[in-house]
Amino acid sequence: MRVILLGGGETVETIYFLARLFVRRGYDVTIVDPNPAEAQTLSRRVKATVLVGDGSDPVVLEEAGARQADLVLSLTPQDPDNLVACQVAQKLYGVPRTLALVNDPENEEVFCKLGITEVFSSTKVIGSLIEGRTVFDEITHLFPADEGRRYVTEIVLDGDAPVIGQTLTEIQLPPESLVVAIIRDGHVVVPGGEDRLQVADRLIVIALPEYQERLLLALAGEEA
Amino acid sequence: MRYAAFLRRRYRAILGYTGLLCLIASLLILSPLALLVVYHQDLGLAWGFLVPGLALGLPSLVAWRRLTPRPAASLTMPEGAVIVVLTWLLTTVAGAVPFLFAGVGFTHALFESTSGWTTAGLSVLDVSQASPLLHFYRSVTQLAGGAGLAILMLSTLTGPLGPGLAVVEGREEQLLPHVRRSARLVLGMYAVYNVIGVLALRLAGMSWFDAVNHAFSALSTGGFSTRAQSIAYWQSPAVEAVIIVLMLLGMLNFLTAYTLLRRKFRAALRNSEVRQSAILLVLGTGVLLVGATGGLYATSGERLRVAVFSAVSALSTTGFGTVDLSRWNGLGWLVLILFMLIGGGAGSTAGGIKQVRIHVLAKGLVWEFRRRLLPRSAVTEPDVWQGEQRLFISDTQLRQVSMFVFLYVTVFAAGSGIIAAYGYPLQDSLFEFASALSTVGISVGITSPDAPAGVLWVEMLAMFLGRLEFFTIVIGLIKLCHDVPDMLAASLKSSARTAAGE
Amino acid sequence: MVSNQYVIVVGCGRLGALLASRLSSLGSSVVVIDRQQAAFENLSTDFSGFRVAGDAAELDVLRQARIDRTQCLLAVTSYDNLNLMVAQVAQAVFGVRKVMARVNNPSREAVYREFGIETICPATLSAAAFLSALGSPGEAGQP
Repeated sequence: MRVILLGGGETVETIYFLARLFVRRGYDVTIVDPNPAEAQTLSRRVKATVLVGDGSDPVVLEEAGARQADLVLSLTPQDPDNLVACQVAQKLYGVPRTLALVNDPENEEVFCKLGITEVFSSTKVIGSLIEGRTVFDEITHLFPADEGRRYVTEIVLDGDAPVIGQTLTEIQLPPESLVVAIIRDGHVVVPGGEDRLQVADRLIVIALPEYQERLLLALAGEEA
Repeated sequence: MRYAAFLRRRYRAILGYTGLLCLIASLLILSPLALLVVYHQDLGLAWGFLVPGLALGLPSLVAWRRLTPRPAASLTMPEGAVIVVLTWLLTTVAGAVPFLFAGVGFTHALFESTSGWTTAGLSVLDVSQASPLLHFYRSVTQLAGGAGLAILMLSTLTGPLGPGLAVVEGREEQLLPHVRRSARLVLGMYAVYNVIGVLALRLAGMSWFDAVNHAFSALSTGGFSTRAQSIAYWQSPAVEAVIIVLMLLGMLNFLTAYTLLRRKFRAALRNSEVRQSAILLVLGTGVLLVGATGGLYATSGERLRVAVFSAVSALSTTGFGTVDLSRWNGLGWLVLILFMLIGGGAGSTAGGIKQVRIHVLAKGLVWEFRRRLLPRSAVTEPDVWQGEQRLFISDTQLRQVSMFVFLYVTVFAAGSGIIAAYGYPLQDSLFEFASALSTVGISVGITSPDAPAGVLWVEMLAMFLGRLEFFTIVIGLIKLCHDVPDMLAASLKSSARTAAGE
Repeated sequence: MVSNQYVIVVGCGRLGALLASRLSSLGSSVVVIDRQQAAFENLSTDFSGFRVAGDAAELDVLRQARIDRTQCLLAVTSYDNLNLMVAQVAQAVFGVRKVMARVNNPSREAVYREFGIETICPATLSAAAFLSALGSPGEAGQP
């Protein structure tokens, strides 16, 4: 696979480690870094073609081999640069996969609207990592799914939980939420409509972040 | 030589725009003539308005049509100051004529005119004898003076480019991203305030005539009344309540009011001036209630009414009165003096130092203390909420505000001293001068038809300085003092040369 | 023409300040966005619009500049990619009717024309102006 990595400045270490990873996997890696000294260091540390230039400039992208590239990863510290680089790669050179780093999480949606659907927001990932590690008694956020758009959460029902004794069809869950599994007495139960919830049940639930609070309120009777 | 020619060109523009503003003023002077329809018995007074209206209006019209540059020019700030100073001088002088025709002496007429246009509200007129035309005229001058002639001009399609003139005249708030649209909006809001005010006062029990005059006077935070006893005449809690609301509206920054109109309630309540005014009013009323009005009034309800009304009247710099202040103790007077000096919100019709400046100083002071308690390398800045925005107070701003307040207090001390030199007690002098400088209008008796002329002139100067905020006047006058000799000297030189046959 | 319109100008360098000041004197309601507060000194005294200090790449800053009621957005910073991003955001996310971007790099300009973003390349325009001034030798000698 031919990969082009664009970046530098604050993201140069990320570029280096990714390049090293890809080279080990056997990919053909080209790096574009605007800073000459950095570019030289990179070229010494990793077995990849390193160019000095602005990755969002069509001329530079062409020199980097965009016409034959399979993947362009734009990881510069500036969102506009990442957007333009990916757009040029896609629309001018037809690169099939482009991935952009988005520093401002609000821009994720913006990039998608502008045609760059594979986006990666480090802020969001770190944020949800911190949240995911949070354990509040009966509630554990397990992990983000669907590229951070949904959360998988484990909820333990204690005696105060309002849904004790109700069936899954009876409880009012917020939209796009689903009880995926019930762990009871050490066994995993695939939930059916007739299962009545008991004390000490552990519910594995998948939901949207914005409905987290409502979900927890509905099931466990408390806020996280 | 080149410089003189350049100056002459600039002054053509300056005089042209001065003409435009004075034209607007002359139309306002003529406006009471409309009332002749109702009050035909006062036809004799009509000349009192026609003469100054035409004497100011016609030359202004000519100046505007002939001297204004086309396309519209942009003015520097000192040029704007000159325009404002000239306009206000001409307007107050022309505006004194109606009083002259009514039989008032020159100093008194000029005093009354200045007090009207600057929305001060101190009066030497015997209001019980004055004609309805004159009452209406006084209210119109306050109405217009409160808004400012510049935004009246900006609302038409004429005048120089840019927000400079409005800012120089004290209208520093801008509601919309274009100065003319903003001016129109402010005037629109002002007009609506007045309509509501008139209706509310009528409902509260005033006659239509009184309602109109008092609405104009309250919303412009002026304070002229058609009755000698001011609001005390009505002895009505309803009237007082409506007036209090109108005074509060008058001291509210137009930008904040606009924020409220757009239903951004949280932003408006976060606004520094709003919070500060609320705190000051609550504290002030409390102190007045407990410390000053004890034992003076029959019921505690009445004491509350008096405390609230006086506090709002002083802080908003309106100047309506409901009681005789000479019966109050020193603490009460101190509260009122402080309120008068602090004044209302910037970007409103109120006078005084203005809430935002006091707030900046207060925040700056708190920050000074904080800064010394924080780790040495910590970075902090004091901030202020204005409109919907959080603005950081820079050192430059702190310096400018500090200098302004220092100047204000110095002038206050000097002016009070001059009044005291005429033999008045210190307490009274301080009060009366604060009332003049902050264009409030509450009087403890010094301002009267029998007052020495010197006192009246000092007060007039104070009202002028207070309304146009020192720097405008000083810069305008300094510029005039520099430019006029330059232009004259050059033309003298050139006529000397032509005479010498060069 | 442009009066009575609500215009956002992104970038208050020489070009942005000039545009903003002219538009404001012609009667438009103008909001200028720039990262540096100091840049607003470039505006002329005739400018009577609003100033927003912030990074236009952030949606919040655009919202603060009331992009919801804007009919026209001009992205004229010296940073091409920012201009292109803001222009696209204005069009695709906020539905602003008239959007123009300054693009200094002529090769990028061509690409973005394809996206439907109206671009102005100062280098190209200046070159054309010089050339046309040189083009008629008789006129070149005039004062």
